[in-house]
This record gives sequence, structure tokens and C-alpha cells, in this order.
Amino acid sequence: MILRHSSLEGLLSTLSTGARVYVPAKADGVTKFVLYSSSVRPDFSITNTTMPPKDLLFPQTQHMYRYGTDAEGVPYVEPVHDADDVIVFGMRPCDVRSIECMDDVFLTKGFVDVSYQAKRERLLMVAMACTAPAPTCFCNSMGLCPTAAPLADILLRPAGATDASGDTAYLVEAQSEKGQAALAQWESYKATDTSDADFEPVSAAVSCSLKVSMVGVKDKLEAMFDHPIWEQLSKKCITCGTCTFVCPTCHCFDISQENRLSEGTRFRCWDSCMFTAYTEMAGGHNPRASKSARVRQRFMHKLCFFEQRYGKTLCVGCGRCVEKCPVALDITCLIDQIGAADVAY
Amino acid sequence: MSLSTAEALTDALREEARRLLAEGTVAVVVGWEAGRFPNQTTPAFISDPEQAQRLVYGDYCVNTLAKYALGEKAAGKVAVCVRGCDSRGINRMIADNQLLRDEVYLLGLPCSGMKDPATGSLLMKCRTCTEHDAVTYDVLLGPATAAGHDGASADSSAGDSEHVSDEQRFTAVLGIEEMAPEKRRALFDAAFNKCIRCYACRKSCPCCTCRECFVDQLRAGWQGKQNNLAENRFYNITRVFHIGDRCIECGECERACPMGLPLMALNRKMVKDLKSLFNADDAGMTEENSAALGRYDLGDLEEFM
Amino acid sequence: MSHIEIEHGCARSVEGRDALMPLPCRVLAVSQETSDVKALRITSLQGTRPFDAKPGQTAMLSIIPSGECMFCVSSQGEDYLEFTVKKVGFVTEQLHALRPGDAVGLRGPYGNWFPYEGLRGKDLLFIGGGIGMAPLRSLITYLFDCRSEYGAIDLVYSGSTPDDLVFCREIQEDWPRIDGVTVHLSVYRESPGWDGEVAFTAPFLERLGYAPDGRIAVLCGGPSLFRTCLASLEKLGFAPEDIITTLEMRMKCGIGKCGRCNIGSHYICLDGPVFSIAELHKIPGALH
Repeated sequence: MILRHSSLEGLLSTLSTGARVYVPAKADGVTKFVLYSSSVRPDFSITNTTMPPKDLLFPQTQHMYRYGTDAEGVPYVEPVHDADDVIVFGMRPCDVRSIECMDDVFLTKGFVDVSYQAKRERLLMVAMACTAPAPTCFCNSMGLCPTAAPLADILLRPAGATDASGDTAYLVEAQSEKGQAALAQWESYKATDTSDADFEPVSAAVSCSLKVSMVGVKDKLEAMFDHPIWEQLSKKCITCGTCTFVCPTCHCFDISQENRLSEGTRFRCWDSCMFTAYTEMAGGHNPRASKSARVRQRFMHKLCFFEQRYGKTLCVGCGRCVEKCPVALDITCLIDQIGAADVAY
Repeated sequence: MSLSTAEALTDALREEARRLLAEGTVAVVVGWEAGRFPNQTTPAFISDPEQAQRLVYGDYCVNTLAKYALGEKAAGKVAVCVRGCDSRGINRMIADNQLLRDEVYLLGLPCSGMKDPATGSLLMKCRTCTEHDAVTYDVLLGPATAAGHDGASADSSAGDSEHVSDEQRFTAVLGIEEMAPEKRRALFDAAFNKCIRCYACRKSCPCCTCRECFVDQLRAGWQGKQNNLAENRFYNITRVFHIGDRCIECGECERACPMGLPLMALNRKMVKDLKSLFNADDAGMTEENSAALGRYDLGDLEEFM
Repeated sequence: MSHIEIEHGCARSVEGRDALMPLPCRVLAVSQETSDVKALRITSLQGTRPFDAKPGQTAMLSIIPSGECMFCVSSQGEDYLEFTVKKVGFVTEQLHALRPGDAVGLRGPYGNWFPYEGLRGKDLLFIGGGIGMAPLRSLITYLFDCRSEYGAIDLVYSGSTPDDLVFCREIQEDWPRIDGVTVHLSVYRESPGWDGEVAFTAPFLERLGYAPDGRIAVLCGGPSLFRTCLASLEKLGFAPEDIITTLEMRMKCGIGKCGRCNIGSHYICLDGPVFSIAELHKIPGALH
């Protein structure tokens, strides 16, 4: 199916009658996935939104259940259900890949996370291939292709040059049964004066200029737990949580509660391995009290431990942390340093 | 600054750092080195004299370095590259009993304002800076900056003025003060709504040196962990009030903020009110604690008692 | 020689239940074990055992409105699960204030368990300190229930003072009467009314001179007891494969998602808490 850029607005407004549709846009100066309405101007030229779409499945604050004691003094616990049909329209391939990592965490290894699963089952991912990766993008090096998003339900690829009217065309393909079924709603917006064969979609030749080599990184790191690199690297880290909060794959959380008299709500919220209190135990002992231990944990988890556990790197090369770290502690520089480290593996 | 000035300052900095490390005067030099991207720099920690050539100085040294002295001082005396902002941060930490003057060796550097490596334009925090050059140092590398900041001196009177005027400094605050209450509320609600509570503002601040921040006092439970407008508002306002009269106006919080919150407008509102109510001194200009709220004189008025 | 196999990541969510949602429960009984340790027996609203737990498994006990804490199930009965709670922080302080009939929340069971199948027929040496008795007790009481299937059981248990010995009366009076069970107690400081051994655990253990002889050692205590007793066991000739321990770290979810108890490729809450020392040698940072 070919879809013209000029038809997008009509399509989005149709889709938003049956689901909550999120699109990349700038809101109050920050780019993120914003709930579509007629007053929202989607911006598909944004390569990576500052905030990743992970909050649609894993909100920064997720109410889990209410509890309290009823009039007879009997304690109760009531789940909070808030899953809705959601379409994320215009996800970049790296963000789609990040959902693959989140699925591993929340849906496998003996325990299914019920609230994640409820949201995940009602999510439709519409991906947009990248034609112009940002200078901080390095997804190729993480085994991704900027123009492919295998897990997405529907993939849009900008197709060749704009036509005579100056209207960009997208080649639309369903990649899952769910995507195929969803396309029925799109039919009335497809370009009828042309066919798929007339267009050449952006090819795999699109590539990030920032490149790192992951060869041997995981294996070397297995022998680098006590390497001086962590002490050196962590000196400039100010242990804020920026990198973890803008990361599409960071998924650590805390569980806390707010109470009103005898009733309360327990919620989970994003937490960060960069924060001191994250691992501090009752009684005061902290297994990761030092800054270097926390920096090591973050990078070991991303580049070594997660791969050992789930068979993939917990970094999709989106470059958000590279761009937003206030002290330019750059994961790609670390990967280079690991590559250069004289460590047998 | 011109390319040749930057190069000359970089050479002087490297030479001084090498000498200080080789002679054993300091254990580590905190400065900047080149990052991966064009014009980008990142904080550098040099303890080997042979590595001193990694140091750079120029228009893109965006990080304020003062706070790193706290983390490094355990290893010995720390040499820190200082401009106006960094040196005021050092003074602030000395006044707050976090640091002894003797624990640092200050390498003074002239500054004409730093630029965003991505856009090449002067950083917001440098546009309203009142002290370009180090207010305290052990050695001054290169001449003091004769003129004002490249950007701040854009108006006609800037030729003879090194400092931005209070009017320029408080432009944002004045604008907000003039707003109708509903509009002002909407402005801050929008800002606090996008706060992700990464705490980069707190962590980058040379005044935020509490061993345990109120945010982390889980037992007291001042700060809920939920991200919502009420909690975000509570965090941001408490942060400003707690810094209170100690803000040195380095602007590092606002630069570090990934969400672009107008943190300096909040900080400067405090600064402005303290000036008008108590004729407060600018913070961090000396090692003395001159903070209006952080000290008392027997002669203080007690009209409210 | 074949070593004991410990299963990891073997816990599973209970069908049809949200693993993060607590079951509303009540306190059945409270007993003061030491000045800062209480044993709490928790029963369901229907008065039944809230769920089954295998020896060594953990559960998240919560009190409204203070929050949740992870504890090892220290023993279980027909109609209760028992938790041994030391007062160390905010939540445990409130747990200590509970009385029978009070409402609590409970979710679990989480984590793996002591390899009680593989231990069948083996002689066992338990080494514990203070509150470290809680997880040991879950296995020991299990072994007592099927006593004939296991070999000799020796216990070396210490505390700073007699008051720090949890379940002291039971351990001193009841356990030694059970066939094949030997108990050695020590305290670290001379204390009024204590005429027993005064010694740190590790030298005491060495003096007792246990030889491996196919014995499996089960070790649980604070960081310094763990470090010193591990060294002593190795000195006595125990192979790292034959020393079993339980790890502790801050936990929030209990199901291997929230991240804070991550060591190497493992999450202690899900893959642990029971590991052999040989396994911990292979996990970066685990024995730091």
C-alpha cells in the first residue's frame, strides 16, 4: 500500500476514534510521543524523540492496586486496570527493538508482569523507517538496520523521491497478523493513482555515521569486573538518572505507596541504578555504595549481563544518553575503550 | 575567544598541569578534554603528567567543574580549572564547610562565554553571567577577559561594561512576575509536568552537597516517588528554597536538565528577592559565608519579633 | 564425585494470580524471639496457609501503609507461614508493632530453594549467625519432618550475646534431643548467665574440626561471619561445590524484573537466594 504524507492527518484522526494514538511531536519544548488530537502536530522528521515511547507500556508511575480495610475491618486489595487500545505511530526501529528487550524482561523467565502484558497485548506498533539517522545514532553497530523494524506490526518506509506534487509517499507493509488486520482501516487513505511497484523504498544503505565495534565486548567485560576502567570512567559521572530515564530499554523500577487515612494505592515508578538509594538495604548496608560500582553496574548490565541472560544487548543504539548526558559520559566511547583494553577473552 | 587565544590558553593549561603533577604539588588536575563529536568537550581528570596534553580550553568547555573537587580531594590536592562560575562554586563549597581552600589549587582561566557544540550559539547560562573570570585563583593563565561576553555585549553600552546589568540578569524573572497568576501557574505547571525527576539539577549543583538529600530521606517520606505534578512541583520548589541564598547563578542545573525546565528563572527569583529585601551579596564571591539567610548579626532588625 | 545440583530460576507465577499483588492476610501469632527479633505467623483471611513455600523460598510481607519487605519463610504449618523479622528499619519497626488479628499483605513464594532432594542421605553441617538462622531454620525443620531420610545434622550457631540467638530455647532444648542432631552454640562476648562457649564463629568452627567426609555445609550470616566462616570451611577442606549459602540484597519485585538485586546474569530474588559457593565464584561481584 502506498500512503501519501498528505493523507496522514485523515488516517490519524480515523485511527484515534478507536484507540489512543501516539505520535512523535514537540510538547512544551520536549519531543516525545504525544496523544494525537486535532490540535497536535505530528512531526515525523524527528529522528529520536527526547523521551522514548517506553512509558506507554511501562509508565513512569503505574498504579498497581488499591488497598485498605473495609467497614468490617476486613483487609482488601483491588487491582487497578488501565490498559487501553494504543497505537504508537511513527516509532523508530531502535525503539521497536527496545520493546523486544522489555518483552524479554516483563514476559519471560517464569513470571509474567500482568500490567505490562495487558498493555502490550493492546499495543499496535507502527514503525517509521529512518532515512537520516542523527549524528548520535549508532543502531547499525547494535545489530539493527535503520530501515527495518521486524517486531513492528506495520512498517512505513519513505518511498524514493517526493512526487511531482511535493508529497512524500510511504510504502506501507503489514508485518504481523495484527498489523494486517489493522490495515483495513487504512484502505480508504491509500493512494489510488499509483502502485507499490512505482516506488523504491529507502534501502538498507541508510546507515549511521557513528560506528562502534561490539566484537568481543561481552566476552571481554566478563573479565573486566575489577578493571580500573570503571574508576576512571565514573569520575565525571554526577550520578543523575538522565541516561536511565531517557533510555528506551532501562526498565528498573521501585514499588512505593501513597496513603490517605486507611486507604492507599501501591504504585511502581521508574528507578535508576545510578541512584545511591536504589540498592541501599534496611539497616544501611549498600552493596553498590560507590559511584564506580553503580556506573559499572549500568554498563555491565547493558553490554554483558543482559546478553548472558536474554541473548541480546540491552542497548539499541538510539543515542539518547549520548545526547543528553550532562557530562558527555558516552557509551560509544566506553565501547571503544573496552575494545582497546588489553584483556584476554 | 579567538582560535589563537584558545590555543595559547590550552598550551598554558597543559604546561601548568604537567608541572603541578610532575612536581607533586597536586594529585589530580580537573579540566576538560575533547569528546567524540565536533567541538564537544567532557570533564577530564588527569593524574599522570604525561597525560596533561589531553586537556583543552576554548569556547566549548560547557561543564562547570567546581563540584568535582569534592569527589577528588581524597586522593590529595586537586587542581581545578576555574572561570567565574567554577570559582564561585569553589567559594560556595568552602563557605558551606564542604571544602578547605587548601585542598584545591585553582587554575584561573579567562572566559568569554561558552557555546553549545551542536548549534555554536552562546549557552543560555553564559548570556546572563555576571562574573566571567575567576574570582579566586592560585595562578591566572592568560589575561582577564577585557570585554563582556560575546552575546551579552550585544547592546550598545556593552563596550565599557564587563557585567550584564541586573535588568538583563533578571529579564526572565521580571517577565514572569508581570504575568497574571493563572498564566504564571500554567507556565510552571507545564514545566513541572515535564520534569522526569532525574535529579540532574541537584547533582550538578555546587550548592547541593547534603550527605542525604531530603528527596532520599525515605523514612521521613518528604518526597513521594510518584511522578506527577504535585510531587514534581514539591521537588522543584523545595530544591530552590533549600539552595535559597546560596545560588551562585552558574546555570549548570538548567544546562544539565534534559527536559529544558526554566530552573534559573526560579533560582533568580530567589536571588532578586534577597537583593531587594536584604540587599544580599551575590553568592560565592568570597570564601566567607555572606549568605543573607545563612548567618546573622546581633544588629539585625527584629521588626517581626 | 557428584555434587549437589541447585536449581535456579525455577520459581513460577501462580496461575491466574498477579505475582505483584499481595493476598490480604492476618497475623495469627507473634512471638518475641530476642529483644529485636520477632517471629510472625501469617494466615489467610480464611484461616489457611496462604501458599506453599519450599525451604529457602522467600515472600514479600507488607503492612498497610508502610511498604513491603522480603523475608525468608522460616517455617510453615497447616494454617500459617512464619517469618522471622529483625527490627532494622522503617517497615520492620512497624511489623514489630503487629498483634494477632492485624491485617497484612503477603505475596510469593519467590526464588529457589535449598536442594533438599539432592541432600537426601547426606550429613549436613549448618553454620549460622544471629538472624541468619531464619533461612537455615526453614531447611532444618523440613529435615526434622523426614528425619530418617537424612544423615547427621550438626549446627554451629552464634550471636553477639545470648540475646542475639534466635529461637534459642528451641535450639538449646528441643533440637539436641532429636536423633543424630548436635548443636554447638557460641556468643561473641562474655555475658551474664552464659556459661557456654565464648568465641567468634569461624575459630569456633575450626576448633570443632569438621572434616568434609561427604558433608554438605550450609552457611548463612552477616557479611563478616560469611567471609570468615567461608575461609574456615575452605581451610577444613570443604570444596566450594559442597558449601551452600543464601544471598541477600534489597528487593522490590521478587520476580526478577525491577533490577536492584542483579548480580551478573542473575537476579537474586528469582534465581537465588540459594547458591553454592562454586557458583558464586563464577558470578562477578557476588563474593565481594
